[in-house]
Amino acid sequence: MPPFGKQPPHGGEHEDFNLEQMEKETEEMLKLRYLNKDNAEFKRTDGGFVSVKVGEEFYPRVHVIRMFPFSDPDKYISIRTPDEHSKEIGIIENMKDVTKETAQMLTEQLNLRYFTPIITKIVNIKEEYGYAYFDVVTDRGACRFTINMGGHAVVHLSETRILISDIDENRFEIPDVTKLTPKELKKLDLFL
Amino acid sequence: MILKYDLSQENLALLALPPTEEVCYCVPYDIDEKGNFLDNSYVAATRKRIIVLENGARKAEYMLSDCEKIASEPQIDCGLFLVTTGGQERIIARFSGKHLSRFSYVARGLMMFLSGNMNLVSSDEYERTCPKCHRALPGTRECPHCSKQGGGTAKQFLLMVAPYKKQLAVIFFVMALAAVITLLNPEIQKHLIDDVLHDRKGTLSDAYLFLCIIFGLSIGMVVLNITKSYLCAKLGSTLSKDLRAKLYHKIQILSLSFINDRRPGELMNRVVHDTARVRMFMQDIFCNMFTVLVIFVFDMVYMLILDVKLALISFAFIPFGILLSTAFKKNIHRRFHRQWQKDDDVNSSLQDVISGMSVVKSYGKEASEAKHFNELADSYAVINRRNEVFWAIFFPMLSFAMGAGVYLITYFGGVNVLNGRKTPGELLQFINYTSMLYMYLNWLTNLPRQLMNLVNSVERISDVMSQEPRILDREKATDLAIKGSVEFKHATFGYKSYKPVLEDINLSIKPGEMIGLVGASGTGKSTMINLIMHLYELDDGELLVDGKDIRDIRLENYHSQIGVVLQETFLFSGTILNNIKFAKPDATYEEVIRAAKMANAHDFICRTPDGYNTYVGERGFNLSGGERQRIAIARAILNEPKLLILDEATASLDTESEYLIQKALERLTGGRTTFAIAHRLSTLKDADRLVVIDGHSIAEIGTHNELMEQQGIYYKLVTAQLEMQKV
Repeated sequence: MPPFGKQPPHGGEHEDFNLEQMEKETEEMLKLRYLNKDNAEFKRTDGGFVSVKVGEEFYPRVHVIRMFPFSDPDKYISIRTPDEHSKEIGIIENMKDVTKETAQMLTEQLNLRYFTPIITKIVNIKEEYGYAYFDVVTDRGACRFTINMGGHAVVHLSETRILISDIDENRFEIPDVTKLTPKELKKLDLFL
Repeated sequence: MILKYDLSQENLALLALPPTEEVCYCVPYDIDEKGNFLDNSYVAATRKRIIVLENGARKAEYMLSDCEKIASEPQIDCGLFLVTTGGQERIIARFSGKHLSRFSYVARGLMMFLSGNMNLVSSDEYERTCPKCHRALPGTRECPHCSKQGGGTAKQFLLMVAPYKKQLAVIFFVMALAAVITLLNPEIQKHLIDDVLHDRKGTLSDAYLFLCIIFGLSIGMVVLNITKSYLCAKLGSTLSKDLRAKLYHKIQILSLSFINDRRPGELMNRVVHDTARVRMFMQDIFCNMFTVLVIFVFDMVYMLILDVKLALISFAFIPFGILLSTAFKKNIHRRFHRQWQKDDDVNSSLQDVISGMSVVKSYGKEASEAKHFNELADSYAVINRRNEVFWAIFFPMLSFAMGAGVYLITYFGGVNVLNGRKTPGELLQFINYTSMLYMYLNWLTNLPRQLMNLVNSVERISDVMSQEPRILDREKATDLAIKGSVEFKHATFGYKSYKPVLEDINLSIKPGEMIGLVGASGTGKSTMINLIMHLYELDDGELLVDGKDIRDIRLENYHSQIGVVLQETFLFSGTILNNIKFAKPDATYEEVIRAAKMANAHDFICRTPDGYNTYVGERGFNLSGGERQRIAIARAILNEPKLLILDEATASLDTESEYLIQKALERLTGGRTTFAIAHRLSTLKDADRLVVIDGHSIAEIGTHNELMEQQGIYYKLVTAQLEMQKV
């Protein structure tokens, strides 16, 4: 327990609500609590999620979130409560800090949460009246999607890495446009 | 939005439902357990069970009686459909963004079944792609492509222009005349050459006569063109003005939910841009369309009559011309689209830096920002230069290639003239017709794109026009002089049918009572007020005013008896006088002054240079927040409302003006049924009763003292605010 939890309440007569509680919560928010194989125990749930036990605290289901999904997807993983407050239970700085089994479990959770297919092949792009119709092959299988040409559907994460958002707000990634064939590149040219 | 997809015979057989059980919801999901795309997979639900079908096989079944909770949980670029049975939450389907809101609706619908409500939820959201042709929909219910096939859009356009039959008839007449004259010109030139100039057959006076005819026709053509453009521009702007007025009127009577469902600016776009597009079409395209089509067709017919062989030779180049011109346009479009994108980048970067100048300067980042901007500007300049060079080189080449047919005609026709099978005049005439053909060909290849733009605009306009307002006066609605009692009976409401904001509200308010609404933000206080203002209608339950259903009171009559003071006061562009008189335009000066005095506004109004005639609003005299608020109170007082609504009326004001406003409000609320929302609970100390809303329903109700004794939510809020003040 943090030391400030033991201070006497300042409010005196109002015992169930007070500043102390709020201050305590604010202090807790400031803390960086790293989780590793020694202080946290992750377990699979029957429903396909993960539970965690950290010291005395037990969370029957947690959210597993990437802090740097584009620049460093496998480091700084935030473990949070699944309710609307989404309180941070702790951070896993590196998957190496936990057991292989836990790393596997958490990767499964990340794969469940994030769905950004990587485009491996551009079969065709048809342009018609303000919309572009993509026919592509991704690492998750063949797929067709539509983007709005007027908006900012294509975002450059770097010079060569792009993210394409379709009209249903799905996102597709091309990690390196220079790896596309000249033919594919010509089709995509308009959007770069 | 479709919540019940039709299943194939095989899939229906897999469901194996007893004949009495019907499918209520059936929606596809598209991601499998491994995270790969999936086809032909559905979550189907009846009033008894949920069945999951995956790839032509039955994957799972859950009886609703075993389920504790059913939810759709959005993830990043996908979503999960979760069912809780025996305390265990499990994933039963995973889907991409395409089906995210569909599953939210279904989850809500199934939760309703669990709670014993067997009604179905429906969704007014539009599909984003046409279920038939899979094209993206431009924010409309009907697909412009598919409804075109049924004559839909064309019919809508005809309906739009139908009131202007007379003008259209005149325009058609002028267009036909212009076409005839254009086609006549080469014929006359032929006669000039063959009958007058060739072999010196004619006299000088004959030559003058032809010159006069040609000159007269040219003048006639100019007059016709001016008339045509004038008429079309006039018709275009009248049409667009009328459409704008109709759209504006329609948007005003449509319920707020229609407006709130759309992105801000989208409706404005429809009123401003789509009507402008119709106008531009009438001006630029329509006015030439029929002339060009008539000329094009008769040109070809005439050429065939004159010389079949030569005509066919020049026609042979038409497909080539179309191909060349579309390819060129596509390329140009590509290039200039990129230039436009770059231009956009430069602009937004410039805007970023200028609006964030103080940040850039305070962190000393001028040099790096300047470098970044220079790079962008450079790349724009490179693209711009390349495009201009391309245009300068290829456009003349295109024109040359498009004229290639003429050279062939000149060759073959010239041979005929030398052989004596054709006169020089006939050759000239034929050459003229050929160049005319190619001249208009270029124009015609633009037509499909222009037409599609028009179709999309027409579709977007008629999409709004065909909306039925959800809040309409009922037939038996009558006027009612409100005394001020309000009663909620089992009232349930949500902006989206699957997400209730208020559930089962029961509350009875006596005339003249002041009710303070308390609760955390987002709990539904403002929603309750929106319902009292009859801006929305209840999904379930009743709202009675003086014992009469609110829907049975004529809207205009009802609204004229309500006064509203909101947190942010909206003042229309105009004088203070007009702003105060807004709800009662026929008020006398004395009434206005009285109201202003009651609102503690009279003194500051007198201090402004132009008194009550001071111009306020967006670009007008700068009033402080407190002053604006007092004008709003004067506006409310003048109207002598029976129901008064104060939504955070004193938030974001300094202490002095808050005091003045409090005093003004006390005068205003006396004897009137008042609903007040305030975060600062001290402002509600005069309320007769306080209603605490928490978790979609009324948690506590009573006077200040009663609630303090209860030591519940209200007590906590009050003590919390006291604590904060101590600090």
